Amino acid sequence: MKTVIIKECGDIKTSDVYTFDLNKKVVKDCIGCWSCWWKTPGRCSFNDLNEFYHRYITADKAIYFVRVTKEFVSGNLKTLFDRMIPLYLPYTVYTSGESMHVPRYEKYPDIEFYYEGKFETHSGRQIFVDYINRVFYQFYSKNIIIKPIGEFIAEGDDNT
Amino acid sequence: MNTIILNGSPKGNSEKCNSQIFAEQFVKDMKNPCEIKCIAQNVPKELAQYVADFDAIILILPLYIHAMPGIVMKFIEELEPATSKGKSIGFIIQAGFIETAQHKYVGRYLENLAERLNYSYLGTVSKGEAAAIYMYPKMFKKVLKLLSELGVAYEKNHAFDDEVVKKLTNPYELSKFKLWLLRLVNKVGLGNIGWHKVLRENDVMDKRLDRPFL
Repeated sequence: MKTVIIKECGDIKTSDVYTFDLNKKVVKDCIGCWSCWWKTPGRCSFNDLNEFYHRYITADKAIYFVRVTKEFVSGNLKTLFDRMIPLYLPYTVYTSGESMHVPRYEKYPDIEFYYEGKFETHSGRQIFVDYINRVFYQFYSKNIIIKPIGEFIAEGDDNT
Repeated sequence: MNTIILNGSPKGNSEKCNSQIFAEQFVKDMKNPCEIKCIAQNVPKELAQYVADFDAIILILPLYIHAMPGIVMKFIEELEPATSKGKSIGFIIQAGFIETAQHKYVGRYLENLAERLNYSYLGTVSKGEAAAIYMYPKMFKKVLKLLSELGVAYEKNHAFDDEVVKKLTNPYELSKFKLWLLRLVNKVGLGNIGWHKVLRENDVMDKRLDRPFL
């Protein structure tokens, strides 16, 4: 199974797994130019994510380790979400009863999303979880798991 | 009430920026038009310090992946809770999809954010089907007029007018008839005409379905 890791927190052992480290990489902000839709279909006008795109779209699973920031995703991670648009077509379909973009690729990775950080209220946590679910639902990931980082069990650490 | 308007679009004050059009329209008929600043053209931390001196913030933004663009979140990261009471914040979201229910995820977050920042929440105004406003402003005269009315009412009452908000927000969801119609339009191949026109102009029609990262 091919896996990619996107991380901005956690001391996670990631040997032999492609890891996109948001602590070391500042993603260029999407400028809303739509070049990826109508000038160079499927390709962003920036080249900083080309390897990431390839690793992500050919993976079976993407594991996120995320730092909760102001009870949301960080600006850097939000920019990474914004920059996922080249992986989808501009066209809109209504099959689910609402507007959705059309997938560009045949399949998208399953998601495990672990977050580190506190929320003032239960409602704040629910807003965060609902948002993350929505993002990956619209990104056509079929299986989505969202948990606090303490519930992550690395392969080999589970003795059950 | 000293209010600042923030444009949260990465396009800044470009003439192709719908959020800038919204901002200019919002202040157009005010007796004392509010100052407008673009997040894209400022350093987030400096801008956060600057807006702290205002009584109210109206943040106008496009919807990117069901929430604010990354640059807006970088600005939000720098906001500190108000140390005194009486400050307020409101949001105006514009997006391409027709139904404004698409905005509810970030709307809940923005309300929560206002509370965390010790600001009174003025609300989140949503407008769907707004992507083409800068291309065809004449087709959106009614929307632009409503935005001006929203601004005039805000200057008078320091609040978003419920009736104007209702008109802008409509439709919240797609009705059964609208869904049927949109699916029919797609089925007969009319749904993508606008996209295909530009793809042809850019000579990339045959590349439109490319999968370059496999």
